[in-house]
Amino acid sequence: MAFEPRIVGFLCNWCTYTGADLAGTARVKYSPNIRSIRVMCSGRVDPVFVIKALYEGADGVLLGGCHPGDCHYQEGNYKALRRYLLLKRILPEYGIEPGRVRLEWVSASEGERFGRVVDEFTEEIRKLGPLKIKESIFESMRGDVLHESERSEQTGEAR
Amino acid sequence: MKRIAIDPITRLEGHGKITIFLNDEGAVDNAYLQIPELRGFEKFVEGLPVEEIPRVVTRICGV
Amino acid sequence: MKLNIGIYWGAACGGCDVAILDTHEKLLEIADMADIHLWPIAMDFKYSDVRAMKDGYLDAVLFSGGVRNSENEEIAKLLRAKTKTMIALGACAQMGGVPGLANMYTREDILKRVYLESESTANTEGIVPLEGAKNGAHELELPRFYNTVKTLSQVVDVDYTIPGCPPASMQIYSALGLIWDNMLPKKGSIIGAGDRALCDECSRKKSEKTITKIFRTHEKLPDAETCFLEQGFICLGPATRSGCGSRCIKSGTPCRGCYGPLDDVADQGIKMLSALASVIEAKDEKDIDAVLDTVVDPLRTFHRFSLASSILRRKKA
Repeated sequence: MAFEPRIVGFLCNWCTYTGADLAGTARVKYSPNIRSIRVMCSGRVDPVFVIKALYEGADGVLLGGCHPGDCHYQEGNYKALRRYLLLKRILPEYGIEPGRVRLEWVSASEGERFGRVVDEFTEEIRKLGPLKIKESIFESMRGDVLHESERSEQTGEAR
Repeated sequence: MKRIAIDPITRLEGHGKITIFLNDEGAVDNAYLQIPELRGFEKFVEGLPVEEIPRVVTRICGV
Repeated sequence: MKLNIGIYWGAACGGCDVAILDTHEKLLEIADMADIHLWPIAMDFKYSDVRAMKDGYLDAVLFSGGVRNSENEEIAKLLRAKTKTMIALGACAQMGGVPGLANMYTREDILKRVYLESESTANTEGIVPLEGAKNGAHELELPRFYNTVKTLSQVVDVDYTIPGCPPASMQIYSALGLIWDNMLPKKGSIIGAGDRALCDECSRKKSEKTITKIFRTHEKLPDAETCFLEQGFICLGPATRSGCGSRCIKSGTPCRGCYGPLDDVADQGIKMLSALASVIEAKDEKDIDAVLDTVVDPLRTFHRFSLASSILRRKKA
């Protein structure tokens, strides 16, 4: 079976999620690979969510927020940008391609652009292939098991 | 042949065991001291910021 | 009636045991409360003594150190069977601790570096430890060295955790008091520590944080009164549990996170990443990157003690 990227999207209520809604009502066609989660602000996205999503089986994570200057809460999207840039620096150290996480500013009026962003990101993830991080971590621990040591009964142990 | 295991050796920092093999006359044939412990500081301090080294290697032995 | 306790170490440095000894004269009170049936650093009991115990014989085991090899796991499981209460003592048992940084490498990387490449090791025959070896008729075994450092709770059921590297001595004493007084909280709780962030009990002056550059310890002298983070030093206080008595902060050193995450935080290091990124001043991508360039070794800085317990646990192969 061909690989279909599984993408989790954390989309801000005021811009990107509304943009995604617009994409829907405008019947924009785009990749069905994204699973959108609405958050009140991109600044609400704790990087732990991103790591957890990757661990639980996402091949990519898309963060969507308002354009700079447009944040409903003034500064939330800047926080999101800083966290995103720092997170991208540690992903390679974990052995994860930084391209698996992407932040995009999509406004409420950019329904078409939302579709384009999702299409592009889906293709990028398709090129990167499946992440399967949980599987690979557990695979790397497969040899970590108690071996049957032959501590026989006649083994004398003394103080 | 008799085998005596002293496992673990105690009242020191770290892990260790001594295995003594006695021959049929009851004399010591050979004795082995084994250290069943490795953490690999030699590897994982590589590339750490230099100011971290004194704070990390103090965890080799805390006694 | 006196308690029966055991104290053991896995992949540890002995610092937790010394922290118990550092209770000074309180040690005599501990000796009044409890009979110790295993304590390799201080007393001469063997594994055979533990194996001979009835299951559940011990009231509590204080287990320090992570699980690095099959012996650590075997003894952890043995002690779990023999004790009513299993207590993870210290950062290594709780989160893997500093030795958990080895999870950035594989088992083979480590064995190669330690036994074959180390500049100070003379090993011309290229001998590495074997799980089983024969010398004539003598058969010897060593534990299996694992690929991944594990925390105690990743291997056995853990009832309580006393955090810290090392735990503050008086916190160990007070935690033992909880057992003695039969006042233990619900299973899974952290004992011998606070339940708020270290920042909450830090006495340094805090105002709006706007970081423009991260400083390393040799780059500037911190002033004695202002929050370390505000001065640009990475301090893990925001992501770390209180209870240590701010001993590093009071000595003029930023917190490095040894007391671990707060309740319900899944990943201390990533939480710190989030906290640090939040207080950087810059808003433009280029300016942010310039600040981030001054953060040296972020992954291991945020996960100095907690890598083995983090969500991803190790570097992917």
